[in-house]
Amino acid sequence: MEPRERYMAVLEGGRPDMLPRMPILMQFAAEHIGSYYGAFASDHRVLVEANLRCAEEFGIDQLSAISDPYRETAGFGAPIEFPRNGVPICLKPPLEEDPDLARLSRPDPLKAPRMRDRVDAVSAYKARAGGRYSIMGWVEGPAAEAADLRGVSNFFVDLLDDPAYASALMARCVDTAIDFARAQVAAGADTVGIGDAVASQVSAKLYESLILPHERRLVAAVHEMRARVRLHICGNIRHLLSGIASLGLDIVDIDHMVSLAEARRVLGPNIVLAGNVDPVACVMRGSPEAIASAVRQCYAEAGEPFMVAAGCEIPASTPPANLAALCRPIVPR
Amino acid sequence: MTTLEQLYQAVIDGKNKDARALAQRALDEGANPGDIVDKALVPAMAAVGERFKSNEIFVPEMLVAARAMKEAMGVLEPRLVAAGITPKYTALIGTVQGDLHDIGKNLVAVMWRGSNFRVIDLGSNVPATKFVSAINEHRPHLVGLSALLTTTMPAMVETVRAIRSAGCPPVKIMVGGAPISQQFADEVGADGFAPDAASAAEKARALVESA
Ligand code: B12
Repeated sequence: MEPRERYMAVLEGGRPDMLPRMPILMQFAAEHIGSYYGAFASDHRVLVEANLRCAEEFGIDQLSAISDPYRETAGFGAPIEFPRNGVPICLKPPLEEDPDLARLSRPDPLKAPRMRDRVDAVSAYKARAGGRYSIMGWVEGPAAEAADLRGVSNFFVDLLDDPAYASALMARCVDTAIDFARAQVAAGADTVGIGDAVASQVSAKLYESLILPHERRLVAAVHEMRARVRLHICGNIRHLLSGIASLGLDIVDIDHMVSLAEARRVLGPNIVLAGNVDPVACVMRGSPEAIASAVRQCYAEAGEPFMVAAGCEIPASTPPANLAALCRPIVPR
Repeated sequence: MTTLEQLYQAVIDGKNKDARALAQRALDEGANPGDIVDKALVPAMAAVGERFKSNEIFVPEMLVAARAMKEAMGVLEPRLVAAGITPKYTALIGTVQGDLHDIGKNLVAVMWRGSNFRVIDLGSNVPATKFVSAINEHRPHLVGLSALLTTTMPAMVETVRAIRSAGCPPVKIMVGGAPISQQFADEVGADGFAPDAASAAEKARALVESA
């Protein structure tokens, strides 16, 4: 099977020749081809080349457009700095001091340079390897983007102080996420990843009453575009699982502090679980044998349908042999 | 409920306006400002820290509790200063260079303030040289370093080394953040580590009091 066929087979309830391998690569991929993170995040040609080469070399089934959290934030007008070897930095959250939503424009994903660069990455994947690999676009979830625009602490206080405002802000973020997802799907993405990590830091009550409805609208909109949805909320999300179960997701990433068996119990038999090898203690610091056996253990706990991944991003200083061990083919039972 | 008990509850519930009004009422009723801090605010923040540690509350609830404490302190501070009561210990805190994660560091700062430290927050992405010059300027008893990324753990090592080098006054160093462990703290030569903000407050007191 080709990587994309294998991936679709799992999503469609069929039997793949081996489990799809879906590790999240950023800085690792950049440095693996002799480039650096700043270039990977600011120039889609570097991102595309790095991910394609890693996919070929390690046997990865999905090409991803993820890079850093600030594509949309830049589109909304925030100044972003690109350190050579670090993650881009948002110099000033646009709504940090003045929360007025009227000041927020609606960025056009084909015009805002950092958003356009991601759309271009998807187009380049499509042109170079479209039929062969699954292509995943990427958008920030409602809580993540709201936190980027307001500053995390301000946004957390908004959730309690002024839920109506927090909700209106997240609605604006979802409008843009939908526009951005649509542009990426049009360019060739078969899947849209949604990153909403800060949601892991709020109570189940706040998550379910305020954040979940916005995530639900985003998921439904992507499904209307006939694309698949992969949700990524790293960290400990045990308390959020029952809410997440209601989102109608195709794939959910599970980080290493959450038990895959419990995730399966709460999320049900149809959703694809991806994860949850510990990215640092195991993938970066473990031996190839320990990693390969951790992946099998994850599969045993999660049951079908399952895809291979670490709990979160593959750390930059992971030895290549360790990533190869994570991606070692596993024939499904 | 006495006024102090109500104030204690208002801080836990993150009711900042109530906290302010209750602190004022306690003063009006003749309470000693130092007692208001010790009997209502410090225990309230300790309770908040414990609830956070046991996942009963999460980051937003902790932030509003901290704000309520700050409001109450706003009322008490002029009286504390007039009475010559100032926090006995000063602490400095920051997230190391290259690292932008500041939620955990902010919560530690909150709990340190809640246990009656004067806290100077240097923010995130703080170079070692800035820690050193701030230590020279403020002469703190304690400095806290936070790191959330494995890639910034070397910056933490570097910062500890700079603080221990000649030209920097002696100070207790605490380190923390999700990837940091007691073992790592020992390796880099820090004086203390804590896995969460509530324990960070206990540990901080123990460290400065033993000095
Ligand atoms: C929020 C978040 C962000 C936000 C940060 C916003 C902000 N202003 O802080 C943003 C979006 C900016 C971000 C960016 C990135 N992040 Co981030 N992020 C998180 C997330 C979701 C939560 C972290 C958090 O705030 N936790 C809550 C606080 C309360 O916990 P805490 O920080 O551990 O603090 C407690 C204790 O550790 C301790 N403590 C903390 N500091 C100190 C200090 C002292 C002195 C003491 C005693 C104790 C102590 O007390 C605290 C309170 O109890 C985690 C994943 C997760 N869900 O946990 C990832 C995570 C930390 N991020 C990660 C990564 C990789 C990144 C990026 C590199 C991603 C990317 N490629 O773009 C960038 C890096 C940016 C940078 N240069 O720093 C990884 C780190 C992996 C690793 N170990 O290296 C994590 C673990 C996700 C993952 N599973 O891989 N992130």
